[in-house]
This record gives sequence, C-alpha cells and structure tokens, in this order.
Amino acid sequence: MWMQGGVDEADRLDVDAARNLLRRAFRMLRPYRRSMIGALCMVILWTTTTLAGPFLVRHGIDRGIKTGDVGALDAAVIGYIVVAVISYITYRFQVLLISRIGESFLRDVRVRVFDHLQRLSMPFYDREKAGVIVSRMTSDVDSMQELVQMGLLMFVSNGLLLVVSFVVLAVVSWKLLALSVICLPIVIVASIKFQRDSNTAYLDVRDGIGSTLSHLQEGIAGVRVVQAFGREDVESARFRKGSRRLFDAHMRSVKISAWYLPIIELSGLLATAIAVGVGGWWVHTGELTIGTVTFFVLTLSNLFEPVQQLSQLFNMVQSSGAALNKLFALLDTPVDVPERPGAVDLPERGDITVDAVDFAYVDGPPVLTDVSLQIPIGARIALVGPTGAGKSTLAKLIARLYDPTSGTVRYAGIDLRDATRRSLRQRVVVVPQEGFLFNGTILENVRLAREGATDADVLAALLAIGVSERFADLPDGLMTEVQERGSRFSAGEKQLVSLARAALADPAVLVLDEATSSLDPGTEVVVEQAMARLMEGRTVIVIAHRLSTAERADLVGVVADGQLLELGTHTELVAQGGRYADLFATWSGGIGGSELLPSP
Amino acid sequence: MPSGTKRAPSGWRLIIDSCRSRRVGLTVGVLLGLGWTAGKVSVGLLIKQAVDRGIEADDMAALRGWAVAIAGAAVVVGGFTGLRRYAAFREARWVEADLRERMFAHIQRLHFAYHDHAQTGQLMSRANTDLQQIQAFVVMIPLTISNAVTVLAVTVILLTIDPMLTLLALGSLPFSNVLATRFSRRLHPAVLGIQQESAELAAVVEETVAGVRVVKGFGAERVQAARLRVEADDVYARSMDAARVRAMFLPALELLPNLGLIATLGYGGHQVLANELTLGALVSFNVYVVMLIWPLRMLGMILAQAQRAAAAAERVHEVLETAPVIADSAADAPLPNEGPSGGRGEIRFEGVRFAYGAELPVVLDGLDLIVPAGQSVALVGATGSGKTTIARLIPRFYDVLTGRVIVDGIDVRDVRLSELRKAVGLVFEETFLFSDSIGANIAFADPDAPMDRIGRAAELAGAHEFIEVLPHGYDTAIGERGYSLSGGQRQRIAIARAILADPRILILDDATSSVDPTKEHEIRDALAEVMRDRTTIVIAHRPATIALADRVVLLSEGRIVADGTHVELLSSSPAYREVLASAEQRGAETQTDETELEGVG
Repeated sequence: MWMQGGVDEADRLDVDAARNLLRRAFRMLRPYRRSMIGALCMVILWTTTTLAGPFLVRHGIDRGIKTGDVGALDAAVIGYIVVAVISYITYRFQVLLISRIGESFLRDVRVRVFDHLQRLSMPFYDREKAGVIVSRMTSDVDSMQELVQMGLLMFVSNGLLLVVSFVVLAVVSWKLLALSVICLPIVIVASIKFQRDSNTAYLDVRDGIGSTLSHLQEGIAGVRVVQAFGREDVESARFRKGSRRLFDAHMRSVKISAWYLPIIELSGLLATAIAVGVGGWWVHTGELTIGTVTFFVLTLSNLFEPVQQLSQLFNMVQSSGAALNKLFALLDTPVDVPERPGAVDLPERGDITVDAVDFAYVDGPPVLTDVSLQIPIGARIALVGPTGAGKSTLAKLIARLYDPTSGTVRYAGIDLRDATRRSLRQRVVVVPQEGFLFNGTILENVRLAREGATDADVLAALLAIGVSERFADLPDGLMTEVQERGSRFSAGEKQLVSLARAALADPAVLVLDEATSSLDPGTEVVVEQAMARLMEGRTVIVIAHRLSTAERADLVGVVADGQLLELGTHTELVAQGGRYADLFATWSGGIGGSELLPSP
Repeated sequence: MPSGTKRAPSGWRLIIDSCRSRRVGLTVGVLLGLGWTAGKVSVGLLIKQAVDRGIEADDMAALRGWAVAIAGAAVVVGGFTGLRRYAAFREARWVEADLRERMFAHIQRLHFAYHDHAQTGQLMSRANTDLQQIQAFVVMIPLTISNAVTVLAVTVILLTIDPMLTLLALGSLPFSNVLATRFSRRLHPAVLGIQQESAELAAVVEETVAGVRVVKGFGAERVQAARLRVEADDVYARSMDAARVRAMFLPALELLPNLGLIATLGYGGHQVLANELTLGALVSFNVYVVMLIWPLRMLGMILAQAQRAAAAAERVHEVLETAPVIADSAADAPLPNEGPSGGRGEIRFEGVRFAYGAELPVVLDGLDLIVPAGQSVALVGATGSGKTTIARLIPRFYDVLTGRVIVDGIDVRDVRLSELRKAVGLVFEETFLFSDSIGANIAFADPDAPMDRIGRAAELAGAHEFIEVLPHGYDTAIGERGYSLSGGQRQRIAIARAILADPRILILDDATSSVDPTKEHEIRDALAEVMRDRTTIVIAHRPATIALADRVVLLSEGRIVADGTHVELLSSSPAYREVLASAEQRGAETQTDETELEGVG
C-alpha cells in the first residue's frame, strides 16, 4: 500500500545500462563500505532469525512434545527468546544502517549534482529548460528517496528471506517443498504481469493526478474570467469529466491489484493445504515428523509474501534506476567553459581587447562576426542597437559567460580562456538587467557577490554607492527577510541590491545591462546615483536601452546584424551622420508630446 | 479519537456525511470484508482439525477431507481479498473525487472578494493533500471493520480452546495496536519535516537556476553550493530522524508477536505434555498469532489516520461552508431588451459607496454616473482613483455598500448573475488565458461558435494576423505546455474573447497596456468599430486610446472631477492634462527604447 514507483517506457534501462549504473553507484558508495558490510550482516542475521523461530517450534514439537522431553521443550523456548532478542537488535540496526547509507548516498548525489550544475556554464542553461534542471534535483532525487526510506530495506530483506527460506525448506524436506510450491510458477507469472500492468496503471494515475491538479490550478487562477463569462457550471462540468477520468485510472490500478493479491493469498493457503494434507500423509508413513509439517505451515508464507513485495518494489527500483541514470547523465555533461590547466590570475587592472571575434550559440546562426574592439582602462562604453543584434552577447563574451567561436577576448593582454575562473569573476562582474533576489536576508543577498565578505564589508559597499540609508529604512534593515523571490520589494529596490553586490565584488570591469522598464520616479533617482558612483574608476560596458546613457558614455558602439557598425564618441558619431546620428535625431525630436494631441 | 472529535467537529461531520452518501457501497465493502474474515478465521480452525483428527488420529480419510477444506477456505479468502480491496478503494476514491468536484464547483462560485484574499497554493493543498488524507481514512473503514471482527472472532475461538494460553499468546498483541498508533503519530511529523526540508532544498535549486545570470555574473557558484550543502544536510538529518523513529518502532512491532509465539510454545507445549491441549490447537495458536499481526497494526494506524483525516476535512469544510456573497436574488428580474431611455446597455451609478472590505478605505464615495446606451466612456485617473472598481461593479463582481448600480433600469443585484454577466463583457488588466487552443480561448463564452465568428472576433481585436502565421493557426495550444505568446498578443486574444461574447456593455480595463505602441493603432481602428453600437467603458493611459471614447470621465479618489470630451478636458482641466502628461512621460521612455532602437536593425 506504500507509494509505488513507475517508469516511462523511454526511461527503462536495459541490462548493460543497469549494470553500468550499479557499478557507478557502488563506486559512489565506497566511503560507506563498512556500514554496508555491517548492514549486510544485520540483514543476514535478521533473516536467519525469521526462520529460526518456526524452526525452534518444530524442534520443540518433535524433540519435546512428541517425546515427552520437557528439557528439550524448554531449551527450544529459551532458544526462541534468544532469537527474538537477536531479531529485535538486528532489525533495529539494519534500519539504521541502511537508512544511513541510503540517505548519505542521496545527500552525496544532491551535493555532487548541484556542484556540477554550478560548474556548468551559460550555454548549458540556454540549452536546457529550467524546469527540467530543477526536476533533476527535486523529483528525480525524491523518487530515489522513497526507495531509500523503506524500499531498499524491504528489497534486500525480502530478497534474502525468499532465498534463505527456499534453501532451508528444501533442506528440511525438498519433496514437501516441491509439492507445496506447485503454485509458485503461477505466482511468478502473475507477479511479472502485475509488475508490468501496475507500471502502466501507475503512469496513468500519475498523468491523471497531474492534469487534474493543473486543471484545478487553472480553475482557481482563472476564476475571475470564468465568472466574468458566467461559465462556472460549464467549467465545473469540465472538471468533473477530468476528475472521473482520474477516478477511472485509480480504479484500473485497484483492479490490477484486486486480481493479483488474491492469487498470492490463494497460492499461499493452497500451499498450506498441501503441506498439511501431503505432509500429514508422510507423517503417517513415517517419512516426516509433525514438527516439520508445522514448520512448513508457519514458514511457507515466507515464500509468497516476498514475491509479492518484490514485484511491487520492482517498479520503485526501476523508476529510481531511471532517475539515477538521468542524474549520472547530468554529471557527465561536460563543462562548456572550463578552466585550463595552468590558468593564471588576472592582474588588478587591465584594458580589454576583443580581437576578430565570431560567435554563434550552439546550433544557432552566427550572432557576431569579426568584431574587434579595444576598451582602455577606466573607459565607459555604451553598446546600442536593436534587440537581438548581438550587443548583449558581446558583453557576455567580455565576461566569459561564453567562449567565442573564433577570435579572442583579452584582459590586460591575457586570453580570458587562460585566466582562473576565480580571478575572472573578481575582475569582471555582470550586473543583470533585473535585480534578482534569493531567499534569505538582504545582507546575505548582497554578500553572495564575494565569498567570505564580512558584515562590515557589505556595509562599506552599500555606503560606497550611497544606498545604506535606503536599506536601513526597511522593517528589519539589512536583516529583512526576502520571501518568494522578493515579491514585497519594488523593482528599484531589487536593482539597488544588484548594484550593491557589484560594489561589494569591487571589480575592475563592470558589465551593466540597463533596465528597459522604468521605475517609480523616487527610486529612479537613487538607482541612477548609485550606478554613477559604482561606475567611478572602473571600466564599464553598458548595454544601453536609452540614448541618454549613450550620450554620457566615453565611447559608443553600434551593434547591428552581428557586427560592430560604428564606434566612436557620441559627438563623433553624431557628426559622422551614420545610423547613430539618425537614431539620435529621431529620439531627440520625438520625445516631445505629439501624442498628446487627439489622433485624427 | 476523542481528542480529534473535539478539535474537528465539522471535519468529522463532513467525513460522516460523505460516508453516508456512499453507505450502500461501504456496506457492501464491510460485508465482503466479513466474508474475508470468515475464510481467514476458518483456516486456523481447519488446520487444528487436520492435525488433531487427521494426523494425530492417524485418520488419512479425515486428513484428506480437512486438507480439501483448507483449500476451499483458500479460495474463499482469495476471492474476498480482491473484492474487499476493490470495494474499499472504490468508495474511498469516489469520496475523494466527489469532494474535489464539489470544491471545484464551489470555488468557481465564490465571490471575487474571497479570491482576492485566498492563496492558490492553500486551496490547492486542500483539494489535493487534504483530500488524500480523507481518502486514506475512508479506505480503511471497511478494511478495519473486517479486521476488528477478525481479531474478535479469533480471540473468542482461542478463549474456548484455552483461556490461559489465549491470554499469554495474545496478551502482548494489543501493545502492537498501541505501538502502531504511536509509531504513526511519531512518524508523521518526521515525514512532514523531511518534506519541509526538501521543499527548502528545492527552493534553493529553483532560485539558483532561475537566477543563474546573477550567480554566474557575480561568480557566486560556491556560495550557492554551500547553501545547498546546508539544505542537503538538513534533509539528511530529518530523514535520519524518521529512520530513528522507524528503527525504534518496527523492531518492537516485530517483537510482540514473537513474544506470543514463545508463550504459545512454552506454556502451550507444557499443556500438550500434560494432555490439557491438543497438538493441533497448539499449531492453530501459532497460525492465529501470525494472522493477527497485520489486522492489529492496521487498527493502530487507523486512529492516527482518523485524526489526520478529521483535521484535513476541517480545512476542506472551511472552503465548502464559505457562502458565495454574490448570489442570485429572489427578484430574478430579466434584463429588458431596451433601457428606459431606449437602446441597450444604459448604466447608472446612483450614490454608490464602495470599499473592498469593512476595514479598508472607501474607494468610491457617493458616485453618480450615467452612461447612456451606446456611449463610449473613457475612465481616466491616477492609480487608486477607482476606475477599475467602477468597471468591476457593473458585472457585479462586488456589491456596493450603499447606493445602486443599474443596468437598463434594473438594479444589478436583482438580475440573474448568468444573464448580467452575459450582458457585460470585461477585459481584465491582467490577461488570463486557459491552457487550450487559441480558438477555444476566443470561443470561451460560446464554445460552439463557428470558425468564422472566431476569426471575425480575432480580426476586430487585431489578433487574426499573428494567429494565422502560428504553426497551427487557431488550433495552436497555448499555456503551460503550449506556445508562449507575448503580453500584447495575449491581451489581443482576451479582447477577441470579449468581442465574441457580443455583450451589450463592453469594459476594457487597461486592456491594451502590453500591446506594442506601434501596433496599437491597428487595434484602435478595430476597437472603434466594436465600440460603435455598444456601451463601452475604456480604462486607458495612452491619449490616443482615450481619444477613441465619446466622453472622458476624470476620477480622483473615488469622485468624478471632470467630465467631457477629450478635447474639452484638454483645454479646460489642468488636472486632466497633468494625469495625461505623467502617463505619457512614463510611456515615452520605454517607447523610445523599444521602437526607436528597434528601427536600427
């Protein structure tokens, strides 16, 4: 009745893949070797005690009761007490040990996968959907969690119990065993069929739950539209239809187990009937003792229950295997922007050279072709151009969020590909367009820009760009908790946090993506002042959306169609009479209020 | 159970009512369970007879008879195992599905004010997790009854055989009931703890992926990795807490029946030696002790489950008992085909006072406004001036505190809701589209609308052009798993949806705010056509859109401060010019950015 797993046909592993998976999983488990050996001992001991009880009953009956030997009976009882105690202890430790191994393994997987995700660079995040990446770390790991919590223990102990019971029963009387388990082939066939059918049913139920929940969510989120159009009844009827489909899926799944479980129960009891009937006959012929028959009656369930449990667990094991396989595949994803061996640290200051750079996103058309550009130390350059023309890409190449397809980007004459990642992130910082807040305090949000920064460092950074007062006004000051990605904070406040991060990182080169959306006038001023102070004394590359920004820059680069079309100061470019000049003319002429007049 | 009863009386009532509506099925489930009990209990007795009358008496014919009887019992048990399971799950799943459908239908009818405060996530968890708890309890009811009867029957049978041995053999078993209850109660919070920590871990992963640009931009990879490590350690710690609870209870639950078996062997063995007990009875004691393990554990679990289910049902009940504030009145007056002064779609606000809640500030304070049939009115004003509120009072999304809102001579509170809402079409500021095809979204008001009507509505809304070039045209699926549209495109589909409904009053609440300004003029012409023979309320910021209306009403703090045509107000009202100018300024910056720079390429 526990949660069942299930696996999509496409994710099912073949034998080779499964073997590789196991080998790799065992390698990861190596640190827990000793716990594993301990756990195995406990499982073996515990399985033995499960059989030892009925065995002692047999002994007590045959040697004690039947022969009238009180001593033998008492010995069996004392033996049983010892067995019960050992069973208690070994069960306890096997739960603890297997949980510890499994949970440690999951923790390692989580940490390792996440570490790897952190090493993977932007191209990876462009390729993969965010939802898929997140689901690796959540639903995939969670599906293994279920296995680890109870499934693994049951899988191991049931498997062992099945084998040991078989062997012991065979040793006691192989003939009676052979007759009793005459139904076992049926059970095995039924189990295989059950395992397959229940997998399909599970997937049906899973899909049904998924669509019911998303329908429900939509019904709640869109309730105003539904009411506005007076469609309450129609929507409820539609929901009912989906809900009935889920009900039907549930019932199909129940039907499968309602067929299967009776077969197990029937076979187990039939085996008992055979053991009593045939065994009794053999007692009559003197071939068996009555204790042996009792032993069979008490132990035969050890053959049928594990088969049932294993077949139910099998789906869970398979889906965990599929999940682990996906996680390993993720771990195998190569890092696109790796650090070269012998990489050097970038010096504190340096000019930037973009030299004959071509760039295309994976499987995409060329975005930049033959772009060359020199930015002296401390210069401020504004990149302008239409959306998608390549200005953001150029900025990203300068920060080495991507590597150019050909050509080089150099800082102080050093190819960025030869720089250590750490020093690169110290020297070149990208401030994204929108301030993104993580859960945690404002202080922590700023601090992430520099590992190991103290509270004082953060305060100093805030002071440096003149925004410390702004944050002091928050309910808990810098310790104000950000919740739900900062929904309580205005866009301007988020940007201030973003700028504070940059100030704390204190880079030589700043890449700014100017916000396209406007802020409320009060914050706008504060943000602009903070930005101005942040830019002081640094090389700045601004992806400009406002021509007023370009007007104030030392250099303006017009990027269009993947090329750097014009480069020069604002005055030069306006005088040149090219694209920039056109643009500026429309802008300065068009900002007036012609729109205020009623349209014809 | 008593403490649960005290804490969740209405929760219990809901569960009892639900079960009562399924009483036939549940009774069948109980009867099938009793069949299972009969078969199961008889097995032990039959084994006893087979040993005593067959093997021990050395009567092979009798042995054969008893063995066949055991096989017969096996068939009975097997059959009823499947049937009782099917019946129990059928009823439980039905109760779950039925409650979920009732919740959905009820939520659909709950008034706007309720949804303004309700959190989607909370409603979702009630309709999901809480209903599962109820389901898990209901499924246990028929199973538990047959289990309880099994326990009772076995106890009675054993007592008739040997009362002292019964006490020794079964004496420890009630503790497994107690232990199971405790186990369930201790494990539940531990499992919730794991879920809590897993959710926190997921939050770190989600925000790191969503904010990957920040993480990469500032080189904060190691900081995030360290945060994750903390969360992963927390998940580990909570998981081990749960494992420790299991390690404490599971072995104990296993130990108790062993104690019964030891007592049976020890005391029972001596009784057999003393000829006080037959060997068959001894064997059957063994069989019965093993048989009772699961029923007793389940009896223990149901107590804890009952409490969780009652608490869950209490939360479900809370939603179901919330009465919709906006409902059809007894008056049930039809909307006349023609207003008092001729034409359809006259709107009157008479002394309307309104606030969104008893403690919230008054939004409209004695508002009087008459919109003659067929007129188009632009509502203009700063944020919070009451424009949207006026729009939402006309289709009666909220009721006024005092005063009246009258459509075509009838107070909106006297009109049947379905009729009123059909008469009033509203395009919301925030566009909501359903995960369905574009065509189905446009035809929301009338799913049977023919294709040409859908196309016509889309054309009027300026949506036809972009829909046509989509991969599947009007059949293109949108939403979560479908094609993603821009904000402006979504708004145009929403306008088409309202147009298709062909309402006598059309309200556009900032409905073109996301439409690219360069493309707005395309819609503007179409809108003019839509507005021609229809009462229209437009809430807009862009002067060109405002100018479409016959009349402009300037609002400030819930009052009308100016009323006239766009041109009149421009010349006569400084307040109007100010509002327009500030709207313009905000618009101009972004407009320049997007359109002008776009022109370079």
